Order: sequence, then structure tokens, then C-alpha cells
Amino acid sequence: MNKIELHNTLPYVFEGRDVQSEIWLQDVTLQKGETYLVEASSGTGKSSLCSYIIGYRKDYSGNICFDGKDIRGYKVSDWTSVRKRTLSLLFQELRLFPELTAWENVEIKNGLTGYKSNKEIESWFERLGIADKMNAKVGRMSFGQQQRVAMIRALVQPFDFLMVDEPISHLDDENGRIMAAIMTEEAMRQGAGVIVTSIGKHMDLPYTKTFRL
Amino acid sequence: MMSLVWKLLRQHISIAQLAGFFFANLFGMFIVLLGLQFYTDVKPLFGQEDGFLKPEYLIVSKRISGMSVLGSEESFGFTGKEVTDITSQPFCKSVGAFTASQYRVVCSMGVNGVAQFGTDMFFESVPDKFVDTNLSNWTFSPEEGVIPIILPRTYLAIYNFGFAQSQSLPKISEGVVGMIDMLVVLRGNGQEQRLKGKVIGFSTRLNTILVPESFIQWSNAKFAPEADLTPNRLIVEVKNPTDDAIVKYINDHNLELEDDKLDAGKATYFLKLVTILVMCIGMLISILSFYILMLSIYLLVQKNTEKLRNLLLIGYSPVRVSLPYQLLTVGMNALVLVLSLTILYVVRSYYMNMLWAMFPQMQDGSMWPSLCLGIGLFIVVSLINIVVVRNRVMKIWNRKE
Repeated sequence: MNKIELHNTLPYVFEGRDVQSEIWLQDVTLQKGETYLVEASSGTGKSSLCSYIIGYRKDYSGNICFDGKDIRGYKVSDWTSVRKRTLSLLFQELRLFPELTAWENVEIKNGLTGYKSNKEIESWFERLGIADKMNAKVGRMSFGQQQRVAMIRALVQPFDFLMVDEPISHLDDENGRIMAAIMTEEAMRQGAGVIVTSIGKHMDLPYTKTFRL
Repeated sequence: MMSLVWKLLRQHISIAQLAGFFFANLFGMFIVLLGLQFYTDVKPLFGQEDGFLKPEYLIVSKRISGMSVLGSEESFGFTGKEVTDITSQPFCKSVGAFTASQYRVVCSMGVNGVAQFGTDMFFESVPDKFVDTNLSNWTFSPEEGVIPIILPRTYLAIYNFGFAQSQSLPKISEGVVGMIDMLVVLRGNGQEQRLKGKVIGFSTRLNTILVPESFIQWSNAKFAPEADLTPNRLIVEVKNPTDDAIVKYINDHNLELEDDKLDAGKATYFLKLVTILVMCIGMLISILSFYILMLSIYLLVQKNTEKLRNLLLIGYSPVRVSLPYQLLTVGMNALVLVLSLTILYVVRSYYMNMLWAMFPQMQDGSMWPSLCLGIGLFIVVSLINIVVVRNRVMKIWNRKE
């Protein structure tokens, strides 16, 4: 997938409101290989945008297209394939499984894609400073630690676009930098586009373009 | 990796609910299968098809009343005029006469070469076309000296219960009639001849000792050349055995039908009724247990909705996410099937032994009908389970949960 386009897109809940946005009701194209920042205030539909693009919700007007193809027409199998091979999303609410260990949370995804070796995953755990937590249940970890686990899980798949929804909200600057570095390395290696959303604190990256949502 | 998914999705599985389903379903399934199996096993005892006499053949004799015993003797026999009259009736296809042996017959019977008992006897024959058996078995030639014989089935019961039991002799089932040795001594007209008898089968509907017509003709000519051959009984082939005209004719002419089919019919009817009742109860239990399972699965999916949704969002397909629950239900159904069939097998061998003791002629039926029914139920229930689980997961996919 080379581009994501939004044509006149607007969440149903915003209809009838005076929307001032560089995304909603605009024609926006996101290119593979570029890095974008979507800056938002609370309640401007940031998580909605992520949900639309990952195919989780459809409560919007206008169109969203992947490579010119309207995603409303995507079948179940299309979405499964997109989520496995084309588009990776780090959810703001993380969507980890608290009953599983940190390692198992990553493995449950890597087992599906078979994309990364155990060694690479371990090295990420180490760089992010949570190697000692690999076998701890995620439910017992802090949100900041969980964010790092979720990031690793987001990286163990092939993707053309990586979308990260407030990835460093609970991280200190140092860990935020490490996470940004790992993310950028992997995105560059795959030649992928990166879309970062942020309410306040955002990753320090060479953004191609910044949108105000 | 599948085990990780299972590790996640087995959360909230209620062992108590599943055990409840399991035992209820096992019980229900077993009752359903037992009902059918018992029915198939016992049914032949009631509705035994008579291998030697088609249902369209009726046996007609004159009604014996006090008056006729005191009256003239010839009233037992059918005159030529009476036979012609029956033949001319519209319900009648053809008529054959029973011809009885007119000389003395002494017969001793034994099993496996050991003589057991002897008795005076008689033989009767009907025209060969009325006997439904392989005709090559149903011939007699004086040179070979072997008489094929069809006995009433009641004789077998008399032997097995009255005789074999008290003398601790082996019981005989229909399958091994060849074991019966018969030595027949014919006397009459100043002659005596020993012949061998060979029992080729048993008939429920014939109350006589039936031999081939050729034998009766030969032996009557030899041992009782002057005897009167007025038939006492007739065998009538009718177009439709349920025709009312037959009953009317029989009553009008003071005749009697030899038939036990009606009683067997009633018994079969009640057997069917009871079987259906039992199977319905079993079905009800099964359906209720199935309901428990469905509720349990609904609850399980409900409690694990968030996990299922997250799995779907990180790229798992609905098929893959449904699989553990589908395997769980199908696996339990399969276990129920196997167990209920096993219990059925054990219970069946137990009651079959009792039945064999009572009815040695009973043939060993098969378990195929219950096996097929069990597998059929398994497939239907499993398919419903698979579809229901899949639908629940699709509801999560479509965010209708």
C-alpha cells in the first residue's frame, strides 16, 4: 500500500458542527515513506481517526481510500490481511492482554506474522529497559511499561504504514527517545510511512508534515 | 501460538456449566440411542416376517364348534364345490389345499446325533408354489430319502423352554436348525420305511408340519393308497389381505382364519409408541442440555468479548478466533457421542443376553441405526455450535456487542 487518502471525511458525531481541521472535511493524502504528526486537542476525534483507518469503526461520512480503493468495500479477509501485513497500529488504549506476560503479548502477534526472531524481540525489550519484565504479567506492569510492550508488539509485523496513537504519553524523555529511535529504525528498514498522533508531548521526529486535527 | 490464544480464551470457562452440559447431554443422547437400539433389537420379535409364507397367503379352515364335533365328520373337510366357490371370489387369486399324510408317522428328534425324544406325528403339504423358499431345498426323491421339513416356530420354543431347559440341553436358535436330526418312520399299508428329516426352517404362520407336496403324494400312494384326500384346510392367495370382503366371506361361511398377525401388529404398535415416547424424553433432555451449552458459550464469549476484539484488531481472523470455542464444543459433543455409544454397547450386550435367554431364535441385530443416529445428531449439533460461535464472533467484529 502506497497511500492513504481521506476525502471529505467527518465523524458522524461532528456533523452540523463548525469543524476547523486540517484532516476532517479535507482531501488529505498520506504517502508511504513519509512521517506525519497529527496534533490534536481532546475531543477532536483522534482515536476515531485511528479506528477508521484500522477498520474498527465506520461511523463517518466521506471516504477513506487505500491506494484509491474505498475501504468501506473491504471484506473481513481484506481487513485481516491489512492488519497482519500492511498497517500496524499502536492503540492509545494499548489493547494488551493483562492475563499474558509481556513476552506472550508480543509472541501472540509474532506467531501470527512470523516476522521477527526471538533475538530481535529480546534486544528491543533490553533497549527499552523492560527485559526483566518479559515474563511478568502485563496486568501487573505500569502503563509506561505497557506502552513499551505495545510498541514492540506493533513492530513485529510487516507494514507499509505504522500508526502510533499517543505512544509516549506515560514515558520519560529518555525512554521516549529510545522508543522513537527503535520505531524509526524499523520504519526506515521497511520503507514505511509513520503517522504519530499526540495531544501534548510528541515524539521528536523529522516530520514531513504536521496536521492540526 | 494457538496455545496462547487458547490460554487467553479459556479464561472464564465455567467447568461447572460445561460439566452440567456434558452429563445432561450424555444422559439424553444415551436415552435417545438406547430407545432406537432397543426398538431395532426387539422389533423382529414382534413383526417377524414369515420367510415361508407371504402375507397375501391366508390359511382357511372350518370353524370347529361343539355342534360340528358332534355332527357329521365331513363338515371338517372342504368339498370340491366349496373350493370352487372360494376360488371364484373376487378377492381370491388362487387356492391350494393342505394334503395330510394318511399313514402313521413316528418321528424322533435329536441334537448333534443324540436322540432326545420321539413322538407320533403327521405331515401336511401345500402346493409348492405357495411355499416361498428356494425350490432346490424343497424337493423330495425316494432315492435320497431326505424329507425337507418346515416346523411351526412354537415348536422351537417348546423345545428350548419345555425341554432343553429341563434336560440341560443346548438351546437351538434358528440359525443352527441343521443341528436337529430327525429320524422318521413311516408305517402303513403293511410297509415300513425309515427316512431322514431335515428341518429347513420355522414358520410363525403355519400351524402344521409342512413337507413338499411331492413327498406327500409319493408317501400317500405308497403307505395309504386308498385314503380319502379331502382337505381340512386351504391356503388362499388373496389380492389384498386387508380386504373387508374376505372377513365377510369367512364369517358368512362359518370359516376361520389362522392368523396371529393382528396380535403382533398391536404389540408392534405399542412398542413403537413406547420407543417414540422414550426417544422424545431423551431428545428433550438433549435439547435442554444443548441449551445449557449455548448459554454457557454465549456467556463465555460475552465475558471474553474484549479479548476477542483485541485479537481481531491485531490481525486474527474471525475463523481463527472462533476455532478454540468451536473445537471445545465439537470435542465435547464427540466425547458425548463416543461415551454414549460405549455405554449403549455395554447396556445392550447385557439386555441382549437376557433376550437371548428368552428368545434363542432372535437374530443378532446391528448397532448401525443407533450409530448413524448418534453421528447424525453429533453432526447437526456440532454444525449449530460452529455457526453460533462464529456468529457471536462476527457480532464482535461488527461491533454489535
